[in-house]
Amino acid sequence: MATTPLVAAPVSDSLAAAPGKDVVIQTRDLWKIYQMGTEQVAALRGVSIEIHRNEYVAIMGPSGSGKSTLMNLIGCLDSPTKGQYWLNHQLVSELDDDALAHIRNHEIGFVFQTFNLLARATALHNVELPLVYAGVAAAQRADRALEALRKVDLVDRKLHRPNELSGGQRQRVAIARALINNPSILLADEPTGNLDSTTSNDIMALMDKLWDLGNTIVLVTHEPDISEFAHRVIYIRDGQVARDEVTKRGRERSGQTPLSARGQAEPTRGRPGA
Amino acid sequence: MHLKESLLVALDTLWSHKLRSFLTLLGIIVSIWTLVAVVSLVQGVNQYVGDKIAGLGSNSVNVSQFSLDDVTDQKRFREAQKRNKPITLSEYQYLRAHATLAQAVAAEVQRQTGTTLKAGNHSMTDVVVAGDTANSVALAQFTIVAGRFLSETDESHDAPVAFIGADLATKLYPGTNPIGQQLNIDGHNFLVIGQASVMGNVFGQSQDSFVEIPIGVYRGMYGTRDSIGVNVKAPSALLLPAVTDQVRVLMRNVRHLHYADKDTFGIIGADSLMNLWHQLTGVIAGVMVGVSFVFLVVGGIVIMNIMLAAVTERTREVGIRKALGARRKDILSQFLVESAVLSTVGGAMGIGLAYGFTLVAGAVTPLPFSLPWLAVLAAFVISTSVGLFFGIYPAQKAAKLDPITALRAET
Repeated sequence: MATTPLVAAPVSDSLAAAPGKDVVIQTRDLWKIYQMGTEQVAALRGVSIEIHRNEYVAIMGPSGSGKSTLMNLIGCLDSPTKGQYWLNHQLVSELDDDALAHIRNHEIGFVFQTFNLLARATALHNVELPLVYAGVAAAQRADRALEALRKVDLVDRKLHRPNELSGGQRQRVAIARALINNPSILLADEPTGNLDSTTSNDIMALMDKLWDLGNTIVLVTHEPDISEFAHRVIYIRDGQVARDEVTKRGRERSGQTPLSARGQAEPTRGRPGA
Repeated sequence: MHLKESLLVALDTLWSHKLRSFLTLLGIIVSIWTLVAVVSLVQGVNQYVGDKIAGLGSNSVNVSQFSLDDVTDQKRFREAQKRNKPITLSEYQYLRAHATLAQAVAAEVQRQTGTTLKAGNHSMTDVVVAGDTANSVALAQFTIVAGRFLSETDESHDAPVAFIGADLATKLYPGTNPIGQQLNIDGHNFLVIGQASVMGNVFGQSQDSFVEIPIGVYRGMYGTRDSIGVNVKAPSALLLPAVTDQVRVLMRNVRHLHYADKDTFGIIGADSLMNLWHQLTGVIAGVMVGVSFVFLVVGGIVIMNIMLAAVTERTREVGIRKALGARRKDILSQFLVESAVLSTVGGAMGIGLAYGFTLVAGAVTPLPFSLPWLAVLAAFVISTSVGLFFGIYPAQKAAKLDPITALRAET
């Protein structure tokens, strides 16, 4: 299969060019090669990207483009075959399973297309689950989980099980769970894939609100409508970055700084440095 | 902290699949039940037998043709049959004359099967008919409730008199005083001269179904081939070993046994009876423990199977937990706790059933039944260990799941 020659996306086009902002995600020449029987299949072929704090980035691509693989690597669910990945200035591409688990717990907030909540646990318990693995005491966990549910407006459903919640509500619980440990990035994989258009808009509005609060959001999608909510889109094709450009929204916002930087809302989320 | 989370998940899982959990646990429940029940049973019976044997007179020994060892297996018994000779009346007289340390030396010979006793319209069969010396009363466990025991005169004159046990009084002479009445033993007439107190049952066998007649009369009726038993009573428990030794020396002497020859007779005391008892129950207990062990292994394998199914069923859940930061050991401990909880609950149920069993058995039999707490503790430890041991393989499988693949699974 012929590979398209690529030009590295000019980083200066993105919102990130503003001085003083630090880099949360930096990958250098990431490769992921799978062994399929006797064949070797390269899902990622040298991906280098940079995402700064409080960016709102969408990663787009058709199925088979490698965007899911890139997402798994960014989310520390997997390690690259070649190349490096710095998350919050920490080289995570060579960490072992336990260390990756720790990173996932503290630095990554996952939001999945199929919600991935524990079916037999209440909303409250689902939200506090990352804190269980972080070793936080029970009373504190409950407080923080309640606080997170408040942010997504679901306190009155805290004792409901997922099967007693609508799709939109489940996703909001998942988002609260993703935020509970103050992660460096919010990683959403087709978050509206299982939702109708009205609920999808509600969820994307919530994402906007979270960006306003200072979160760094990485959205993986194949739907152009959804990717337009982000401020920057990285197009992946055949395992490489095809384009990296600011969206319409991004251009509208480039003159503005988010609430957090204006010092009018809560302090910046995420921790600088390792 | 994680432990509590695992514990809650485990209990919740168990409860939400009640039937499946119960079926899984059957092996464990049955094995723990048998284990604890057997231990209680053995303890109870030992207690009972110990009490009864102590009641039989812990200060005396019985000299007879065979010892307890001689009858424990076929081979020994055949050897003993060739080697041992019946005790004779003259040997008894010799012992009586020379066992200076003993308080009393009495002789008894008896039979039970095929005996028929009649009095008026009433009759009894298979009663113990015993020919005793007059001094047997000194070793007796009963007291005389009416009349008198056989006397020296009765003995020396072979008088046809009989001393009856409590059962005979009620069955052959209901409503009347048996003393002075006639008693027909296997075709021979006797005069009833005395009655014994009630002694009760041993293992459901009545101890009160006997009649004692002078030993000379017995031998006149039934011949002189039956082996005589010589009962020797020591003045105290402390002196029993010395008395036993003296009796043994006297017997070997009167039979002209050489130093290296084995005894051609047996001396049976309370402790040898207890030893035999322990031997027998030991075998039974061993078999039962073996059986419950087999059930335990089966139960453990069933748990392992169910946990493997559970891991497959909850692959997605494991993926979610790992994505949220659970490490391998978190997943491992979660599933280990689950299988341990499962098996411990099974053990608890088994113990509960065993407790019920001891209550029922205690009410229905004369045996003292209790649940030895050591057995309960051991049962808990064993059942939890089985869960942990057989749960390791499934737990490891879960811990090794790749989060990406796991998240794509059905459940």
